[in-house]
Amino acid sequence: MVELFNTRKFMIKVEKLTKIFPGSGAKAVEDVSFTLEKGEIGCIIGTSGCGKTTTLKMINRLIEPTEGQIFVDENHSHTVDPISWRRKIGYVVQKAGLLPHMTVKQNISLLSTILEKDQSYITRRVRELMSIINLPYDEYQERYPSELSGGQQQRVGIARALMEDPPIMLMDEPFGALDPVTRNSLHSEFWDLNQKLHKTILIVTHDLTEAFKLGDLVILMDQGKIVQKGSKEDFLKRPANKFVEEFVKGEGLV
Amino acid sequence: MYRALILIILVNIFSCLGHAKRPIVIGSKKFSESIIIAEMVSILLEEKYQTSVVRKFSLGGTKVAFDALKLGAIDIYPDYTGTGYVMILKMDGERDPQKVHQIVSREFKSRYGILWSKKIGFNNTYALAVRGDDQRFKNIDRLGQLSGIVESYQFASPHEFMERKDGFDRFSKTYNLNFQKDHILSIESGLMYAAIHNKQTDMIIAYSTDGRIKAYNLKIIKDDLNYFPPYQAALLANKKSTESFPEIMKAFSEFENLISENEMVEMNDQVDRFKKAPYDVARNFLIKKNLISGKIVNKTEESNLFKYFYSKKDYLLKLLLEHLLLSFGALGMALLVSIPIGISLTRHESLAKVVFPIINTIQTIPSLALLGFLIPIMGIGFAPALIALFLYSLLPIIRNTYSGIKGVDKNYIEVSKGIGLTGTQILLKVEIPLALPIILAGLRTAAVIVIGTATLAALIGAGGFGDPIFRGVATVNSNLILLGAIPSALLAIFTDKCIGQCEKIFVSKGIRLKN
Repeated sequence: MVELFNTRKFMIKVEKLTKIFPGSGAKAVEDVSFTLEKGEIGCIIGTSGCGKTTTLKMINRLIEPTEGQIFVDENHSHTVDPISWRRKIGYVVQKAGLLPHMTVKQNISLLSTILEKDQSYITRRVRELMSIINLPYDEYQERYPSELSGGQQQRVGIARALMEDPPIMLMDEPFGALDPVTRNSLHSEFWDLNQKLHKTILIVTHDLTEAFKLGDLVILMDQGKIVQKGSKEDFLKRPANKFVEEFVKGEGLV
Repeated sequence: MYRALILIILVNIFSCLGHAKRPIVIGSKKFSESIIIAEMVSILLEEKYQTSVVRKFSLGGTKVAFDALKLGAIDIYPDYTGTGYVMILKMDGERDPQKVHQIVSREFKSRYGILWSKKIGFNNTYALAVRGDDQRFKNIDRLGQLSGIVESYQFASPHEFMERKDGFDRFSKTYNLNFQKDHILSIESGLMYAAIHNKQTDMIIAYSTDGRIKAYNLKIIKDDLNYFPPYQAALLANKKSTESFPEIMKAFSEFENLISENEMVEMNDQVDRFKKAPYDVARNFLIKKNLISGKIVNKTEESNLFKYFYSKKDYLLKLLLEHLLLSFGALGMALLVSIPIGISLTRHESLAKVVFPIINTIQTIPSLALLGFLIPIMGIGFAPALIALFLYSLLPIIRNTYSGIKGVDKNYIEVSKGIGLTGTQILLKVEIPLALPIILAGLRTAAVIVIGTATLAALIGAGGFGDPIFRGVATVNSNLILLGAIPSALLAIFTDKCIGQCEKIFVSKGIRLKN
């Protein structure tokens, strides 16, 4: 599937995205625009309530934007129905969001089951993904989420998002609930993994270290607006304003 | 099995509606005397007139029996002139037995299309009774002498007496009986005699033909102001029934002055104290009076409980079938309706605000009252009982389905949506499996409620394990009570355990591990 796209193609592009929730006059998200090219990892960072999760959920259309355009894989959001749209986008949430009544295998293969893929394909694919996330299939496939550690759950969550090999992944604080040691090792694993998979990934995080470590593009948001977007170097050497400087300093990175 | 079930339901519904060439349905109220007389009518029709008869005995009270007769759900039942005069016609004043009989005969025919037979012979009036050896009443023979002096006495009466127009309120005013509020007990008539005998109460409102007055050496205090109207026993029949079954009036004529007061006292005593079967007592009497031929049966009941249960095994099987049909019929219907309702309420919050108060209210209606409401609409028997039980099982299942699905963590729903599941897929794959333990708990509650409440169905002639319970209470026969109580309790426990097992099978191990 990867070969189908030429290397210069943008995979996620949002233009002037704005969201006003019904009953509230304030703009939760205002005028947000950015582009991720194929294989790039973007990290949206900001304090809670800054609009980063709302932006992410607008991209997979769990929230409909008030204004603005969304393009994913060169399709405009208006041309595709929301269900098919979401099935093309891998989705990973905080604490993995594994369904507690399903086994590891059932969780990973949920979308394939819905799409009525045949069992031999499902088993083969789950085996493959579980070896990628370093959970031996025979030992773990029958386990329930409550029998896994937080780090293991998070890996299963990533495997689930990868099941139908989507070109794009959206991740909402995927490493947020983990202890620092586990988080660090998962960061490295994840980085290595994406060197092989070349997915276009947008990660929402409140951890600047994570954003700098993983993000090709870092987007800092505050009160619904983008304050600065750019590389780690841009943030460290050319902070857009006092707020960015303070934010970077506050994280103890300078 | 399904076909048999549907057939039985249909037969029951049609028998309620009243169809051509059907058996004659005979009712009775739930005390020994009413049952004995109803048995006599049944036996006479069966053996002398070769008619087939259905017995719907132990109906819940005058109201139930009278409504059932009026609606044609039963064809015949025995009652008393005074009851018709005061309780149904709401009249008062006349005390002459002949005149009261004329009035009820005339008024029932023109108002309700119901015919009264001639008087059976005995008068079973209310009477105030005290213990014969109670020294406080040594010199008291007339009710007038009790005026203003009963403050320290305990008083008990049947439920019906508390509610009647000629009942407790006016009675106590007429004779100035100044009982203290907490000294007044309303009790099942069958239990009242034991209560006074065991000194748990000092005075009771007895029925004058009850054998236990003599057996327990009770003393009747004379109604010197002639407060109570005459209570001449007679048979009532729906006029339409007598047109399709001419033998009813022929049988009625044979009852004229058939039973004297002493004879009735003796028969009541045979049932209440000596635990003879009402059927045997009634049949023996008809043989003695040469109305039918046959051999006098004189068997007393098996006293060993196991042997007793064994001797009643056919009856038990019939009760079990009736009870199962009622409870599981109602539960099945409720299950089909409640789960979709519960789910759709989670989708329409404004509807939930309307529906829950309604079903909560249904749940608070006392079971017997609900059955009473349904009689004018559906008559008596299987169908109204099934509907009442169905209504009772709605709430627990709807409520648990609703709260179970509402309680599913919103994150699981959002993540499923994000993965690309449709609304229906989320409901079937995520919400219902996660809510299942709570839905099953609702079913469990409903099942236990329904199996217990189904015993009340006997009061409107729907059978089930309540039948022996109520007849047992009426005739103070503890074996008979246990014959209904033990199996219905076992059935409830067994069903509860079964649903518990279902939980192990159907609920994912993943959510059971969590708890």
